Amino acid sequence: MRSIRQRILIVSAGFGGLAAASIVLAPLVGSTTIDLARALDRSVPFSENTDAQILFIARLPRTLAGAMVGGALASAGVVFQGLLRNPLATPFTLGVSAGAALGAMLAITFGWTFGWLGIPAIPAASFAGSISAVTIVYGLARARHGGLSTNVLLLAGVTLNAFFSALILFVQFLADFTDLYRMLRWLVGDLDVASYQPLATALPLLLVSLAVFAWLARPLNLLSLGPDAAHTHGIDVRQAQRAAFFSASLATGAAVSIAGPIGFVGIVVPHLVRLLVGADHRVVLPASVLFGAAFLVCCDVVGRTLIAPVEIPVGVITAIIGGPFFLWLLLRRG
Amino acid sequence: MIKNRAAAIAGAAILASAIAAQQPPRIISIIPAVTEMLFAIGAGPHVVAVGTFDDYPPEVRSLERVGALLDPDLERILALKPDLVTVYASQTDLRQQLERAGIPTFEYEHAGLADVMATIRTLGARVGRVEQAEGLAAAIDRDLDAIGKKVAGRRRPRTLLVIGREALAIRGIYASGGVGFLHDMLSVAGGENIFADVKRQSVQATAELIIARRPEVIVELRAGDIPAAQQKKEIAAWGRLTSVPAVASARVYFLTDPRTVVPGPRIAEGTGLIARTLHPEAFK
Amino acid sequence: MCALLRAVDVHFSYGTSPVLRDVSIEVPDGGFAGILGPNGSGKTTLLKVLSGTVTPRAGTLTMDGRDIRRMPRAALARRMAVVPQETHLAFDYSVLEVVLMGRYPHLGTFQIEGPNDIAIARRALAATGTSLLEHRQFATLSGGEKQRVVIASALAQVTGDNGTAGSYLLLDEPTAALDLAYQIEIAALLRDLQQRIPITILVSTHDLNFAAGVCTSLVLLSEGRVLATGPTDVVLTRSNILDLYGVEADVRRHDDAGRLVVVPIARAARGAPG
Repeated sequence: MRSIRQRILIVSAGFGGLAAASIVLAPLVGSTTIDLARALDRSVPFSENTDAQILFIARLPRTLAGAMVGGALASAGVVFQGLLRNPLATPFTLGVSAGAALGAMLAITFGWTFGWLGIPAIPAASFAGSISAVTIVYGLARARHGGLSTNVLLLAGVTLNAFFSALILFVQFLADFTDLYRMLRWLVGDLDVASYQPLATALPLLLVSLAVFAWLARPLNLLSLGPDAAHTHGIDVRQAQRAAFFSASLATGAAVSIAGPIGFVGIVVPHLVRLLVGADHRVVLPASVLFGAAFLVCCDVVGRTLIAPVEIPVGVITAIIGGPFFLWLLLRRG
Repeated sequence: MIKNRAAAIAGAAILASAIAAQQPPRIISIIPAVTEMLFAIGAGPHVVAVGTFDDYPPEVRSLERVGALLDPDLERILALKPDLVTVYASQTDLRQQLERAGIPTFEYEHAGLADVMATIRTLGARVGRVEQAEGLAAAIDRDLDAIGKKVAGRRRPRTLLVIGREALAIRGIYASGGVGFLHDMLSVAGGENIFADVKRQSVQATAELIIARRPEVIVELRAGDIPAAQQKKEIAAWGRLTSVPAVASARVYFLTDPRTVVPGPRIAEGTGLIARTLHPEAFK
Repeated sequence: MCALLRAVDVHFSYGTSPVLRDVSIEVPDGGFAGILGPNGSGKTTLLKVLSGTVTPRAGTLTMDGRDIRRMPRAALARRMAVVPQETHLAFDYSVLEVVLMGRYPHLGTFQIEGPNDIAIARRALAATGTSLLEHRQFATLSGGEKQRVVIASALAQVTGDNGTAGSYLLLDEPTAALDLAYQIEIAALLRDLQQRIPITILVSTHDLNFAAGVCTSLVLLSEGRVLATGPTDVVLTRSNILDLYGVEADVRRHDDAGRLVVVPIARAARGAPG
């Protein structure tokens, strides 16, 4: 058997190569043909170089956003699945995206235009919404004596999702027609950030989450035995659960504030990765980050080239892949 | 636009009989463009209720509101005992319910600029104001022609007509496609729609598309009051796309006048506003 | 090393209903002790208290005289491993991965298992007769095989530089979920382990014959209180069984089996003490 260290290195190199290739190649593809030589030609002033502007203002930030959001959602999915001991959990199961959605809906309906620390209104409101949701879910889960039971957590998350969904429907009802359409597009996800600023803002949050994920890898293995068994294996179960809950929520909240709630990444990628590399979280986590990045970047390329110049939202592409994927899983088990 | 000629004739007959019976016909209009048309052709006194977003002429502000596209208040509409109700073509449920109640409907759908005049004429026939409608439609046609003449022969700048986007960000941009009254207005106003090839009324424009199509002018149509300071910030949000000619030459404009987005009697004025923005020299 | 696991005057309640009252037990080094009692007597709770999984309202718990509750978690885990009644994995781990999880308490935060850890894991698999299962997926094993693998993992967990000397293996109702054949298999395995390697085993069970067959000393637990404690042949008597289970039973030495067997005869007449 290859040692864990070897497996981690091989998997990281493999998926890392895939991610790197996607990030390098994706900006070269698009609905418009660009002249790469001209785009990279320094002698042409940037403000006149259309090819360069398409490459560096439209496509590159979009590709990087896809990589960051894909990596974040995939790894957050792994961590939530480990926390809830359920491979069907998603980053959105515990209400993070419902909170983000409510924040964004409110910002759109009431036409908020303030920026917050230089962040435009909708991402700021969506991040604030996800923080509120996480706080409420945690508070509800802790209200029951005995710490963070995963059943109670799940129930709290489902409750919050239901409640916030009702509020979202209400806000949508109050909105006028154009706002409504904008909301619907936000809900399906959009990677066209056209700026490095949201990426730079979200990057520290994602790095913190990834650092905690690295620390959580072994505890997540133990948590899959059940909380009592994990405890007798010598870990502080409550601390590990809290760390998992907050770090995965942070990664999800940051990802959703960049690009909206893109579905299926957080469940398809972990499943595929586990099929390929096994269940050990020390291998699954780095593989998911890298494969998630590559996956979403590629889905976005498909979405923006298939019926150009009309764009298929990336959330639709991930859903089109996700649906049959689960059908296949179901039939396979049966 | 009338979909069913039989219904039109029946409706006109009912209205005619109502007029003949010395009961003034009661009209409810939840479509801002159609409401304006009704008032402009002299049927204003017959309008007993309007939609949530109706704002012109000022008389409508004192009228009762019965909802709009998404939330028409059927009970209230029925309680007002109208003789005609204007509905959007997509409001099939509402239309069926009104039909069952024996209330005639006038169906409307956003379309091209020429359809505005056609709708005015059809509406005029429907409410027994044929002459006034004809006069109004002809006047609008004349005004549009005049605008066209003013800008004729001038170079038509490539124009991006934005109808909505996220605040302070170049995201979620909705622009007029190559079909519809906004596109037609732009043409009359002497502009070349960069999305003329997209056969849809609206296009979600990505940064890449905008950079690639290099508009020389960007016109943002917004309804509602936006303070000047806010407008400046919004215009500055385009600043990142420096290779776009419109940004480089500072030809990014905000128009918050509702006349540019309501396809009604004042559409020629709205077109004129756009034309002045594109070709200021032609209007000195 | 003279290890002694001792609980004194332990009280525990879930909410307001007391589950354990004034429970004091001593598990001597190298012994094979059993906590015997009917369902609801508090056996599982007592194990959870002893392993530090739950905190009692009152009472002291010491291992070698050290307060268990003050021991760092990993340090305690290196000395004491718990085999639960059933193990359900949320994800599809292999047998070796499951056994290696027993080595985690021995690793630093980001340390990865080394050759020594893998050797210990393999020895543990051999000790439980499951070497051939090393590369199988845990979920595909039979009930008995799973239990043996989990026992192997527990052994690997408490194997230190001195082997397993001074370590404790706690098993919660190890045979409750198993078929008869596997029950006998596990019983034989535990007896064998206890004789071959220096380790102290503590099981909780309601199965009288299992207790009779493997445990050298017993703690009889009835409704959260200790009814009797001592060597098996002293404590496992008709009268104690009647008190504990309300059942008339015959206890005798069986020549073929080589140990005590308990034959339940009849339910005690109502009104009889118990």
